Amino acid sequence: MTNFYTLTRTELVEAAKEFKFIWLTLFFVILGLTQPLITKYMDVILENVGGADGITIDPNRPVPSSAEVLLSTISGQFNQIGLIILIISLMGLIAADRNSGMQDFILTRPVSLRSYLVSKLAGHWIISMFSISIGAVVSYVYTIFLFGSFSFSNFVLFLLLYSLWILFVVSLAILISTFVKSPILIAVTTIAASIFFILIKGFNHLLFQLSPGGILNLAENQLLSVHDLNYFSIATCLAFISLNLSWASRNLKKA
Amino acid sequence: MITVEKLHKTIKKRKILSDVTFSIAEGECVGLLGPNGAGKTTLIKCMTGILQHEQGAITFNSTPIVQHKKSIGYLSQQTDFKPWMTCEESLFFFGKLSGLDKEFLQGNISAVLKEVGLEEKGHYKVEQLSGGMKQRLGIAQAILHQPLLLILDEPVSALDPIGRNEVKKLIARLKKRTTVIISTHILDDASEFCDRFIIIKNGRIVGNINDDFQKTERKQILVKMGNVPKTSEALKSSEVEGVECLSPNTFLLTGAKELHLNKVVNDFAAKEMDITSIEFYERGIEEIFLEMVSDT
Repeated sequence: MTNFYTLTRTELVEAAKEFKFIWLTLFFVILGLTQPLITKYMDVILENVGGADGITIDPNRPVPSSAEVLLSTISGQFNQIGLIILIISLMGLIAADRNSGMQDFILTRPVSLRSYLVSKLAGHWIISMFSISIGAVVSYVYTIFLFGSFSFSNFVLFLLLYSLWILFVVSLAILISTFVKSPILIAVTTIAASIFFILIKGFNHLLFQLSPGGILNLAENQLLSVHDLNYFSIATCLAFISLNLSWASRNLKKA
Repeated sequence: MITVEKLHKTIKKRKILSDVTFSIAEGECVGLLGPNGAGKTTLIKCMTGILQHEQGAITFNSTPIVQHKKSIGYLSQQTDFKPWMTCEESLFFFGKLSGLDKEFLQGNISAVLKEVGLEEKGHYKVEQLSGGMKQRLGIAQAILHQPLLLILDEPVSALDPIGRNEVKKLIARLKKRTTVIISTHILDDASEFCDRFIIIKNGRIVGNINDDFQKTERKQILVKMGNVPKTSEALKSSEVEGVECLSPNTFLLTGAKELHLNKVVNDFAAKEMDITSIEFYERGIEEIFLEMVSDT
């Protein structure tokens, strides 16, 4: 436990020293801000920026609900551009240690591989969720200000479930880092694998149940106020996280 | 102290180590020699518990070595510590991972920094250190927990002559109080402080040479002649079966078995040959190494 604490703390201090907490948070705040602002002021933006010749915006178009705006922020911004940048920020989480010799120095101490990998998972999950949560809260505040109220408890529940998806993505980056040495290749493969898990959940119910991406539907349901806590999706996601870590541990021991 | 028995290791279906067996006694300083890609680093990683081997056993005082991580100090080939940490913070970090308490570390870190000659660089960030200083910091983290066994993987290979000299002096001091294994392909360095050499090639042990190997293996004699024989064949006798002319009056005599100086001298005297000097030829570690790893 002491080793886990020491290693996790080092990950967090390193992120602070490298200003990762700041730039990643700023990035998610900008993402969180743009969706509600663009949705609300699209006609004004087009009018002022120009280039809107031939485009007519229906003045009687229905005003989207705050839930719909939040959903488009998460699905459209956080889970696409946000996810790509997040994964790029994770690409060195094992590779940097391996290339610098730090991994060898750590693993020759009485430190278990489990402690090492779980500390990586926890550290980068905390960094990611810190940035995502602030971005999401800014988006929430702007959305309720511009589009009306939305249950805060549902929003918190959404964030909790979404954090499981992020935990899975970090564990996936860890696993892929044990197969691939090039940081760029780690990022590309992790992005491709994450998109794959998001896509296959839509194919049929069985794949939805068996994909760790199913947790995203569960999270989004909280924004749509559908209170269906599908525990199987939670269990599947946790099982995949555990599987990723075990596999990563096996790879590190073998080579 | 350490016994490696019938060790096998395969990485990505490629056999890296095959049937590796040797032992190291307490207090020895052993050089692990081999060309690049011979399997030295893999062997060291198995010995330090970083990698898991498929077959065989590595024991430390008769119990699996992985149970003795606290007794092992390790210096990796790369010593790029966290660049944002100071030297003291780096040592504190590794000390905590070794299970050392805060009070012990506070007292010991400055002593270890002094030992490696970095006492005035404690507050320097790692990114401010030269290659030699980083290597010395690497040794500092390896000895911080006062290990019984010190494993140094290529400790001087990447250093300039000044850095190399600093690290060599440090190793010479450390070998007086702990068992040391040094992996290297720089033979001159290894011969300076090693008592014994284990030579590895293509994942197999091809030589296990004691320090006094050169003295005990007395099959060659270097002789300088006053009057040069017409042919080198004239130097052959029942004992000497090979003659190599090194210079007009210097010859290397090789026997089928151990040679005796007095017999060779007597033979030459009987043939009325004038000998200026005669001595056993001691082969250097480089020569022995090249012979053992050569493919022919």
